[in-house]
Amino acid sequence: MHLGFRFRAIALATAGVFLAACGGGGTTSANLASADKQILRANNGTEPNSFDPTQQTYTYERAVGIQTYDSLFRAKADSSDVEPLGATSYDVSSDGLTYTFHLRQGVKWSDGKAVTASDWVYGWKHFLNPALAAGYVDPFFDGTIKGASGYGNVDVSSASAIDAYLNGLGLSAPDDKTFVVQLDHPAAYFKWVATLWMAVPLRKDIIEQAAGGAFASTDATKAEAWANNAATIIGQGPYKISEIASKDHVTLVPNPNYWAAKPTLQTITYYEISDGNTAFSQYQTGALDIIGVPLADVTVVRGDPKLSKEAKLIPTLSQYWISFNTTKAPLTDKNVRMALSKSIDRDKLVNDIEHGNGKSLATFIPKGMNGYDTSDNAQSFDPAAAKKLLADSGKAADLGKMKLLTRNSTASKTLNQFLSDQWSTNLGVTIQLDVIDSKTVTRDIRKGQFDIYGLDGWISDYPDQQDWFDIFVTGSCHNLNWGCLSNPAYDDLVTKGDAESDKTKRAQDYAQAGKMLVDNAVVAFMYQPYEYDLVKPYVQGLTVTTTDDQNLPGDGRYNTAYITQHT
Amino acid sequence: MRGALLPPQLTAITSTRAGSLTIFIVRRILWMVPILFFVILITFTLMHLAPGSPWDKAGGRQLSDTVVNNLNIRYGLNKPVPQQFLLYISSVVHFDFGLSYQYQGKTVSGLLLESWPYTATIGVLAFLLIIPVGVGLGVLAALRQNTRVDYITMGFATVAASFPNFVIGALMVVALSVLAYKATGGNFFLPAAGFGVDDHLIMPVVTLALLPIAYTARLTRASTLETIRQDFVRTAWAKGLPERLVVIRHILKNSLIPVVTTLGPTFAFLVTGSVIVETVFSIPGIGRAFVVAIESRDYPMILGTTVLFSLVIAVANLIVDVAYVFIDPRVRLT
Repeated sequence: MHLGFRFRAIALATAGVFLAACGGGGTTSANLASADKQILRANNGTEPNSFDPTQQTYTYERAVGIQTYDSLFRAKADSSDVEPLGATSYDVSSDGLTYTFHLRQGVKWSDGKAVTASDWVYGWKHFLNPALAAGYVDPFFDGTIKGASGYGNVDVSSASAIDAYLNGLGLSAPDDKTFVVQLDHPAAYFKWVATLWMAVPLRKDIIEQAAGGAFASTDATKAEAWANNAATIIGQGPYKISEIASKDHVTLVPNPNYWAAKPTLQTITYYEISDGNTAFSQYQTGALDIIGVPLADVTVVRGDPKLSKEAKLIPTLSQYWISFNTTKAPLTDKNVRMALSKSIDRDKLVNDIEHGNGKSLATFIPKGMNGYDTSDNAQSFDPAAAKKLLADSGKAADLGKMKLLTRNSTASKTLNQFLSDQWSTNLGVTIQLDVIDSKTVTRDIRKGQFDIYGLDGWISDYPDQQDWFDIFVTGSCHNLNWGCLSNPAYDDLVTKGDAESDKTKRAQDYAQAGKMLVDNAVVAFMYQPYEYDLVKPYVQGLTVTTTDDQNLPGDGRYNTAYITQHT
Repeated sequence: MRGALLPPQLTAITSTRAGSLTIFIVRRILWMVPILFFVILITFTLMHLAPGSPWDKAGGRQLSDTVVNNLNIRYGLNKPVPQQFLLYISSVVHFDFGLSYQYQGKTVSGLLLESWPYTATIGVLAFLLIIPVGVGLGVLAALRQNTRVDYITMGFATVAASFPNFVIGALMVVALSVLAYKATGGNFFLPAAGFGVDDHLIMPVVTLALLPIAYTARLTRASTLETIRQDFVRTAWAKGLPERLVVIRHILKNSLIPVVTTLGPTFAFLVTGSVIVETVFSIPGIGRAFVVAIESRDYPMILGTTVLFSLVIAVANLIVDVAYVFIDPRVRLT
């Protein structure tokens, strides 16, 4: 089936030029700082563990990855659909199994060599090499691409087994400008998978050169040798790495061969300051232009006449919830779980504990995404109804024996103490905190050894509902679905929605599945967190979207940003 | 008796002072081998007993079991723990500290070499600050015992010794960075983060040195007071020697002996203190690498940093012991 994407692609490309022109238009403005002052200094918090985008899983890694490499697509600014990046358009076969990506013409690597479709095949195969154990293969890629499902069963000590697996993948390049991906089963969300930052092309010649020649597919060390040296990190993204000062900062400069108009920002420096207070001090003394405000300093910023004007409250495509061990009585009872959920005043939680950085949300999909719908109020705060549910169940005494598993951090303890107080006040049940070090908590929830655990949550990988609904399917039990409530009807709906190409039908399937999650109180949905960032007033033109990095507002579209004159 | 067990050429060596010193140093260096072995054994055991795996994610979706399995194979974690230990020891013998789990494709030795200069610079500067300031304050307080100078110095030493260095660091950042910046309109302030051979060094070095300065000052004061009351000092005064000469040649030379013995532990403190100071001031040194390695259960990196720390402390203690021989003629090398 042809989706008529090409037409939209052209329209978007024009819009892109227009935007770039707006950004560039600033150059004539007397207010614009000179080229040598077009420097953006932001705190990225932590050094990326790898500069190989295919190995990146954390937000602080993605932040660098998306500047240095372009995926096939990216999310539109309003998250409603994808828009072209490395590819200008795509076709889907009528059976929904073959995706043909038409690559953008004339794209070059940062060293000037042309990007070809075989670079894309090579990059995806590098990513899917089981010996490299990249964090994002499962479930996005091994669950969709033809021949990829055996990913976990390949003998990673055998080069022939790995090569056989990689050669059997449904990835091909019929010509230089066409990249074809065959799927195992229809996956309507695959266009979103193609926006992921690790699904990029890579340079075989550079990787082999850095490794000292061709190497066996079992050799993970040689395969990653290139990614530790700025000179061999050759990407096709808008920026390239000019300096890696380990555990201090990464410096990005414009890729001279990038296909779009030249950005105004000439240098982006991502500092790696892990202590939020230190970063805040650096911001106050003018050494940083953008930071995420540490929770402890939010009230300071709100109360400061100057800083409060520089603060931005940005919604994130995230949602937090409390998990229940649904295999353990009395949490096996839907009404008990519902009583726990309905007895928490989420507005108070957001205001008192999170200092207003969020929005209470008693349903699944966050605001800003397709599928956001708050009409189902089954879990909404209602202490009287909660008390009645619990009384009718007759399990109040058993519930008092349950414990709330809590990570040993100030933030978790404060928040969970609040939850415990709410249950005590609104439900008349004492649920004690079980405070354990973070690593043990992770081990225990993975084994299903807990009663109640929270808060846990999800940040979108891409703004499609599939990324969310797959969390609670039976197959992902103990992966993030700690409570492990198995519901075949839910599984069926999600499987159907994931494959459905008709937008309306797909939305209906997910909506129905979402209602099941809420009405069965599979988890207790709490609130959508907002990010509270500080941005210096001389940083202008940022295109802030919900798919940006939480502490780097506008990082998906730095081409529109610029620095104005300041002292 | 000991000499009798040695071959004749070595007996000849031990009969001279320089020779016996050489034997002493060589023996101490050889002792480091079993010490390091036990350091590795203990660290290795504790590390594997600690909950959590290197592949756990701090939040969100966890890696699937199949990916974790592949990672275990890639880094040899699928082998039995005793075998992993023996493999590690055998590679350490070949000066191979393995690959970091956290930083893909980077060797532990590479990461340590990268971080070492920062920690060493700050540590050495702190050390250079501790000796003159600590000893100076101590002697000053002792010579002016029970005067205002004494009270102020010792008051400062007591306060400095009772604040943990992360509190001192945080307070200094507020005062000398943020408030100083506001008060002077950005004309004078100290940077709160990062490394540079300039004003970036002031706060980290002072934070790191403050506690040892306080400790050294108190120790110097006590031992100086003891020395002042000795007969030979009284004799020196009686001979009419100038104060400078009495203090330096007669008092200090003797009162410093106990101070020198604490330099080994002081060095150890500088190493452990770097863990906190580097985190507070965001300095990319070994201390911060150690914290990050522990948090992410980067086993080879934890072992590498521990071995390095132990080596530094062992060498520092050796230097102190050798220095002792020269300062105190009563010390015998056995």
